[in-house]
Amino acid sequence: MTYKETVVPEPPLAGDEIRQRKAFLEFRDDDVARLRSINELAQRYADAVIEDFYRHLMSFEDTRAFFTDPAVLAHVRSMQKAYFMRLTQGEYDENYVANRVRIGAIHERVGLPVKSYFGMYCFYLRSVLKRLHGEYKDNPEQAVAVFDSLMKLTFFDVGLAIDTYIESRERTIQGQQEAIRELSTPVLLLRPSLLLLPIIGLIDSLRARQLTEQLLRSVRSNRAKVVVIDVTGVPSVDTKVANHLVQAVEAARLMGAASIITGIAPEIAQTMVKLGIDLMRITTVGDLQSGIEEAERLLGYRVVKLDGGGRQNPPEGT
Amino acid sequence: MNRARAPILKLEDTLIASVQEALMDADLVGLRDELVADVKRYRAHAVIIDVTVLDVLDSFAARTIRNIAQMTRLIGARTIIVGIQPDVAFAMVQLGLTLDGMETALDLEDGLALIGLRPGKACRA
Amino acid sequence: MPEELNVPIRSEADLVVARLRGREMASQLRFSSSELTLIATAISEVTRNILSYAGRGELRLRLVREGQRAGVSIVASDRGPGIADLAAAMRDGYSTSGSLGLGLPGSKRLMDEFAIVSEIGQGTTVSMTKWQI
Repeated sequence: MTYKETVVPEPPLAGDEIRQRKAFLEFRDDDVARLRSINELAQRYADAVIEDFYRHLMSFEDTRAFFTDPAVLAHVRSMQKAYFMRLTQGEYDENYVANRVRIGAIHERVGLPVKSYFGMYCFYLRSVLKRLHGEYKDNPEQAVAVFDSLMKLTFFDVGLAIDTYIESRERTIQGQQEAIRELSTPVLLLRPSLLLLPIIGLIDSLRARQLTEQLLRSVRSNRAKVVVIDVTGVPSVDTKVANHLVQAVEAARLMGAASIITGIAPEIAQTMVKLGIDLMRITTVGDLQSGIEEAERLLGYRVVKLDGGGRQNPPEGT
Repeated sequence: MNRARAPILKLEDTLIASVQEALMDADLVGLRDELVADVKRYRAHAVIIDVTVLDVLDSFAARTIRNIAQMTRLIGARTIIVGIQPDVAFAMVQLGLTLDGMETALDLEDGLALIGLRPGKACRA
Repeated sequence: MPEELNVPIRSEADLVVARLRGREMASQLRFSSSELTLIATAISEVTRNILSYAGRGELRLRLVREGQRAGVSIVASDRGPGIADLAAAMRDGYSTSGSLGLGLPGSKRLMDEFAIVSEIGQGTTVSMTKWQI
């Protein structure tokens, strides 16, 4: 596994948001000062802490698995040191945020589970606490104050890192949902210029919009002149759904395609009329088969059964 | 109107206005006047407006296009609008701009087919 | 790419700029191309209103965040005559003849949040927001 610094499309974390988070964590200027004050100290024990840290990581099977490649391990160690040193550098602005987000994204991409991420942070804090305790033996209050500031900053970091994990998960879920939606509503090309859009299941506004988009793109790519929209599989058609259908029909018309809606049960048709939907604006046909035949007629097709083909039906009367 | 933005071509007795880039309101109005004048001048029987490149068709544009259709109909020509893109069609319908009563086709090729012509030797009107 | 942008609306050319900037700004988020067109169209409608009824005004584009979700905020304001009857303006009154009034109810349909404040003699401000899903 090669280790590369990848550019991550970061979610825009506005200045406002950064300020809000710091306020919530009560991370203030005196915290910044305290952290800066131990920067020199941090430089002194950085290597030792990293050493302990990696010994800890390598003693566990699941985290060890990430560092089997010595090149990767070396790269990661230097990055960890840089990360560690940044904690006490004293600049915690947009650049700092960008840096933390990038690192979180890399860990997520590499597949490091959240529990390991948290475990690592915990180890860090505890290592530092030990050393602070040693360094400020004569001034335990100062050690506590510094550690307090470090904790706030660590939680700020963790928040950012977890954001990237969530962001990435959401993108995956979105992609999967997209795929599911595409699969569940294929737009079929029945004949040249004739599209069939069978809709199955409940339609909400979001799905209706996606269906319409899919339909319109299909009209363009297939140069469709007639579209049959079958709603037999839609359990209920209320005003909203009916309006969505009408809009889809009107949009398809703007692209030169006529639409036929099939599968509207008589009761639903009645409801639609009662709801004030002008059924004259759309062509509806009872069932799918008739709808397709009507579409074919519109396109100038004539379906003719050939003599002598298929099963011979016995003449009537025998 | 800046003719370069929407040149008008003539193919037999059909006029084709091909919008090249985002038109400003004045351009649209200018196009309307030019088309009407050209329909009269050439005794055109059909006008095709190709809006393939437009990424937005708002209420003003829709109104003006409708005007073109109405005015040209009064002097004996039918107007067909072609090239409305999926996103644009969707936005128009949300906005309530259905161009009801106007003829539409997918693109220039289909528009010409509607009139019974094939894309052939078109010349600048 | 900025997260906030003001576009002065003083001429027709500015309408084209406004649409373009709006699209650019919104494209920083995860909007589909269809949604970007909705946004550009809504911007076209409200900025045209500014020109038609007030002569000049301003469009303010901003990326906004609310917890985990992000969106684009569009505020079109002018110091024009104001709208006498807001209720009527917001009523869906488009007809097949194509006369569409101010296009406000339509713009509202294109966006997720919509608010309009108008005072006679003071001006009008239309605020709209679209959230990415």
